[in-house]
Amino acid sequence: MRGVPPCSSRSKSRSGSRSRSGSGGSREGGGTMVPPSQYGIKYAGHIISSHFGDLVAKVCECLLRRGPLTHQNIVRFTEMSASQVKNCLLVLIQQNCVQAFSVEHPGGVGDTSRRSTEYLALFDNIIHRMRFPKFVAVVSQELDKECVELFQGLLQHGRLTLEKMIDRAKSGQEDSTAQDATREALSKLANARFVEHCPDPEPHLSPPSEEAPARKRTKSSKMVAEPETIEERVLAAATPMEAKRFLIIFDTTTEEDGQKTGDSFLGVGEKRKSDALESNKELGSDGEQVLWRVNVQEFMHRFRHKACVENVRERLDGGAAVALSAMLEISKSMEKKVKTDNSVPLSINTIYEEVMKGEAGRAMTLDHLRASLVMLGCEKGVDESYKIDLKNIIEQAQNEEVESIVLKRYGQEAYRIFRLLSKANCLLETGKISDTAFVDKKEISKILFRLWKDQFLHMEKIVVTGPRQTQFLLWKVDKTTLWPHVLDEMYHAVLNLNLRVAYELEKENELLNLPIEKRSGPLEKRYNRLRTVRLLLESSLMKLDDAIMLFHDF
Amino acid sequence: MCALSLYSVTAMGKRKRPDSKVPALSMTEQEKIVYNLIQSKQDLGIWSRDMKRETSLPNNVVDKSLKSLCSKGLIKEVVTVWSKSRKHFLASEFEPSSEITGGKWYDQGTLDTEFIDFLKDQCLKHIRNMKIATVDMVANAVRRSRVLKNDCSSQEIGEIVRALILDNDVIEMRSNGLGEFASVPTGRMCYKCRRSPDATKEPRVGAMASIPCGVCPQIANCAPGGVISPMTCEYYSMWLDF
Repeated sequence: MRGVPPCSSRSKSRSGSRSRSGSGGSREGGGTMVPPSQYGIKYAGHIISSHFGDLVAKVCECLLRRGPLTHQNIVRFTEMSASQVKNCLLVLIQQNCVQAFSVEHPGGVGDTSRRSTEYLALFDNIIHRMRFPKFVAVVSQELDKECVELFQGLLQHGRLTLEKMIDRAKSGQEDSTAQDATREALSKLANARFVEHCPDPEPHLSPPSEEAPARKRTKSSKMVAEPETIEERVLAAATPMEAKRFLIIFDTTTEEDGQKTGDSFLGVGEKRKSDALESNKELGSDGEQVLWRVNVQEFMHRFRHKACVENVRERLDGGAAVALSAMLEISKSMEKKVKTDNSVPLSINTIYEEVMKGEAGRAMTLDHLRASLVMLGCEKGVDESYKIDLKNIIEQAQNEEVESIVLKRYGQEAYRIFRLLSKANCLLETGKISDTAFVDKKEISKILFRLWKDQFLHMEKIVVTGPRQTQFLLWKVDKTTLWPHVLDEMYHAVLNLNLRVAYELEKENELLNLPIEKRSGPLEKRYNRLRTVRLLLESSLMKLDDAIMLFHDF
Repeated sequence: MCALSLYSVTAMGKRKRPDSKVPALSMTEQEKIVYNLIQSKQDLGIWSRDMKRETSLPNNVVDKSLKSLCSKGLIKEVVTVWSKSRKHFLASEFEPSSEITGGKWYDQGTLDTEFIDFLKDQCLKHIRNMKIATVDMVANAVRRSRVLKNDCSSQEIGEIVRALILDNDVIEMRSNGLGEFASVPTGRMCYKCRRSPDATKEPRVGAMASIPCGVCPQIANCAPGGVISPMTCEYYSMWLDF
């Protein structure tokens, strides 16, 4: 990639302004939803505005800034008409960017409780819209052209029933061909978990005390279970049961009796659910009417694995990447959540079998595999089973991304200082940092203060009283505040890249509309420049989005 | 009192050398005050400004006394690591503490980056040759190469190796005694180069650091329509100058 020209300082660095921290969505925990960060919201608003217009973006940003609201309150805050807000909400719900839910509000003295519908903006799903080309690339690699086309249709429309998918495919084809091809494509996509049933359109959210207990305790029994955020509670209430999420029921009509019978792709023990579906047919929830949408969780799962493998390849070597890739491939089906801290324990023989399947692993000996697993830092269990700490790999990748920023922005000495404090994970005194990082004692304070001012370091003062009062400054890398700050800067940067692409294209709009035969001489040169610029900006966008996924921890 | 103090042993164990040539009685009263204060600070010495405050003597008196004591060889001026311009004084019989000189890596109050970089290169070269090495192995290799006038201790080489880790040139691992770690006892910390010497590709630059916004010191002040904006950004213009 083309190097970035060195920055000369324009003026003195900013003083003390703090951006709103927060990584977005429900990541922070706590009893109420933590709003996305300042530039997270701006970026999300830009996406919605580009795709659906300013009115829809206004409603969306209102929900992102204020949290879940009723229709009435959205009207009040946006100062739009009721019908406008309703239409915008319909678009956002259709596109899986908003989830409705109902809540019970206790009445006053003598009044009964009342139920109202509120709308929750789904920040993550909005940001995922910029990843659609990456999703399509994954599907293209694994499935056929018909699946890709169907998948693209789901991306475009947000959610579709099988009936609508068939209608869409029918244009220019005979009915039965389109129907069979569409069903087959949908089956393949569902089996691969690229698509899923849409969530409940309006789940009811009980008051927290009435619901199931908060999330399970972590392995450390001393930690208190975190209360769920409202987004997590809504999504948990709305998400279909795991068994139903990928269930396909096709209605077939037999000639003899004209009765519809259901052919279903059922897993073991699913008959009870099939009966429940049968009983709901009159409500239009039979196979043809089930709403389907893209299952982003599957893609995030794959991207997380890919990021881990690439980090290991860059940081260690190809052998370690092959070993990790094999382990993740085996445990893929066993992992229920995207964010699994550790892979499942796997025997050396199981890993080796998987390694041998790939071209890169065929020449690998068992000893080489063992050495790679050691290099990966795998935890070795009984009977030579291995387990990898994925959380550690993700953290290392995140560290490298931030260290790269520090190096480019502040220089080599700041880089050493930052790495020292990041590894130490505790407060260190100025002198100690100076000695260990080999930074001149006359220069160290200047660099530390600069990093502190830009929120890369946390600082504490200690005053020692005695015959003479002495002040010591202690420094630390505090990832709980720094990581959200970096993520917010990334949202800012990705928004800037988007704006610049739009600006460059708009600037040359006439040139783009010019027929090719009329582009010659200087016009040809300008056109080629525009093409190169666009390529650079858009590839930077894709790479920065990878980094955003990394910091959001997928 | 001056004679007694000349023979006493300091808390640091540095025995003051009696100097029969010291004309103890040739000092003025002010000079004695200044000299005693400097001597009491032993190997830490004292800044002239602090002297003026602690003795409450007029500035010109202190300055004159310092000049006189220097010319008599009783005290010496040293360069401190905090500021080259700061006048810092020690009694002649003391060697300045590392706290004021900066320690072994400082020369005349400035970090000796040339020497440090040279040592880093040497250590990196030996680690690369040995593929996997402990600090002691690296220190021995440096000693055997005889590139240094004065040998560095294992502790000093260890400091250099840890700086190489911070530079991300070297990675630290714990030996399991097998394979490439066979030469290192199990459980010992050892080091290997992060990249091979003939690696043509540069270390990977992060996605954020690869774009102007990632390295911009003004990102917090940047906004569409603002004085600094992505549309008018000069760094973007330079980056996209094809």
